Amino acid sequence: MAGPSTRVLATRALRASAERPRWVRGLVSVAYFVVPLVVVVGLWQLATMLGRNPFFPQPFAIIGNLWTLLFGSEKAVQDVFVGQFLATVGRMALGFAIGAAWGVVVGTIMGLWRGAREVVSPIVEFLRSIPATATLPLFIILLGGGDDMRVVFIAYGVSWFVLINTAQGVGSIHKTMLDLGRVFRVSPARRLFAIVLPAALPKIFAGLRIASTAALLLAIVSEFMLALNGIGFSLVVAQSRFNLLSMWSWMLALAILGLLINSLLEFIERRLLSWHRLSRQRT
Amino acid sequence: MTTTASPRQTRRRISAGAIWRGLAGVAGLFVLLEIVSRSGLISTTYLPPFSEVVWRALQLWIDPDFLSNVGQTLLTYLLGLLISAVIAIPLGIVFGLLNPVYRATRAVVELIRPIPPVALIPLVLLALGNGLEMKLVIVVFAAVWPIMFNTLYGVHDVDPYQKDMGRSFGLGRFGIIRRIVIPAAAPFIMTGVRIASSIALIVVITVELISPGGAKGIGAYIAAQQLSYQDSAVTYLSVLAATITAGVLGLVINLVIGWVERRFFGWDSTARDGV
Repeated sequence: MAGPSTRVLATRALRASAERPRWVRGLVSVAYFVVPLVVVVGLWQLATMLGRNPFFPQPFAIIGNLWTLLFGSEKAVQDVFVGQFLATVGRMALGFAIGAAWGVVVGTIMGLWRGAREVVSPIVEFLRSIPATATLPLFIILLGGGDDMRVVFIAYGVSWFVLINTAQGVGSIHKTMLDLGRVFRVSPARRLFAIVLPAALPKIFAGLRIASTAALLLAIVSEFMLALNGIGFSLVVAQSRFNLLSMWSWMLALAILGLLINSLLEFIERRLLSWHRLSRQRT
Repeated sequence: MTTTASPRQTRRRISAGAIWRGLAGVAGLFVLLEIVSRSGLISTTYLPPFSEVVWRALQLWIDPDFLSNVGQTLLTYLLGLLISAVIAIPLGIVFGLLNPVYRATRAVVELIRPIPPVALIPLVLLALGNGLEMKLVIVVFAAVWPIMFNTLYGVHDVDPYQKDMGRSFGLGRFGIIRRIVIPAAAPFIMTGVRIASSIALIVVITVELISPGGAKGIGAYIAAQQLSYQDSAVTYLSVLAATITAGVLGLVINLVIGWVERRFFGWDSTARDGV
């Protein structure tokens, strides 16, 4: 019985790697990461060197250009890195923080209080069905074209993901847990922070993950309209100057930014939710 | 996932009381907005009476010009989702079945995926102009990932014994994929399509909103109205009404997909998972 089942479960690759020593496995996984990147970049470089196409600049030129854009000359360090790159990051982070806080608060209320949930849920369902970016003109009309408008817009768009997930997470907490807190006369505030929120945290984090991707997207979109700085603005400027190299460089910057945000959230999640994973593994 | 399925299942059955309370909530908001606006607490230029917004929306829904815009948005959305599915599902199956291929492509995928799809707009606009192709390229770029990754998870999740069973009944490699892997992964694929669907709608409208002139669609309509908003309150009403229309469109799409999911994939617990 054991023979066939292990043969079924372990694919050839897994079995082969299990036999190898640890450093070989480590080397293999590094190679799996580096080699494809090198191959793709190399092929791209080769193709662009053979047949020049204005829409596809050489990858090394893109990387080099990004470096000079961000950290180029002494003076430009301040201008571009702080003025464009960090402007976007700041807006995004602020909007994300406000939206996430709002989402967690309202979501918790909705999750705990069934009456409130039933009253608001049709409204929430409708509002979150409006594609967030479609509301940008409304925000511009209502709040003007300034930075505060952008932050509010990002916060608005981000909040739905967090709100829905928090409400689901809080709503699906086992009733026994809540009753237990009541039986032991735990104060309502402590019940909230020691029982309700930790239990809902895995779901809240799932929402935060989606929200972080959305925050970057919304920040870029908001900078397409009436902005004076930011990555989205730089993209539009590069477009109007037919500067394709810079556009590629900014997209590379966005890819790196997105990767950084993802890994940061993953890191926080791993720290905060290690108990959750452990309890999962045991069951 | 299976542990949380049961409370969710009970919540799906919506009681009559909940419907009434929901309706009361909507009506309450309606009345509140109306009162706030009519009493002049907030200037009516910023918050027109809600009944006027609804009236304007109803007017728009019989306006052939606006309807053709809605049709454009829907067409782009549907085509984009279709193309994404056609690209992403086979890729997901290949990646799911051949682990080395997946590991080899992962580095590249992880670098491309975090780019917000809207960041492609300026470049693709220059390359393709602002027609349907431009919109489709960006929508597909956005919608491919969730479908591909969910297909991949679905394929990983297939019970290996079922595959063995298929093999012992004499199915070939493609027979196993067609008869066992795809049906077993279908609920996951559907989840991916649901997520991709809302992303696709957002991206379609964003592209229409941003691409200058010429483009058609709800987003383009909103952008055009917004540019002319300084002359009268009617155009502002139109922006509001068009935004609400976008919401109605999103809601209808969500409901349809939710219905499809429950009707055809209701047997699977993962299909009920929110997000």
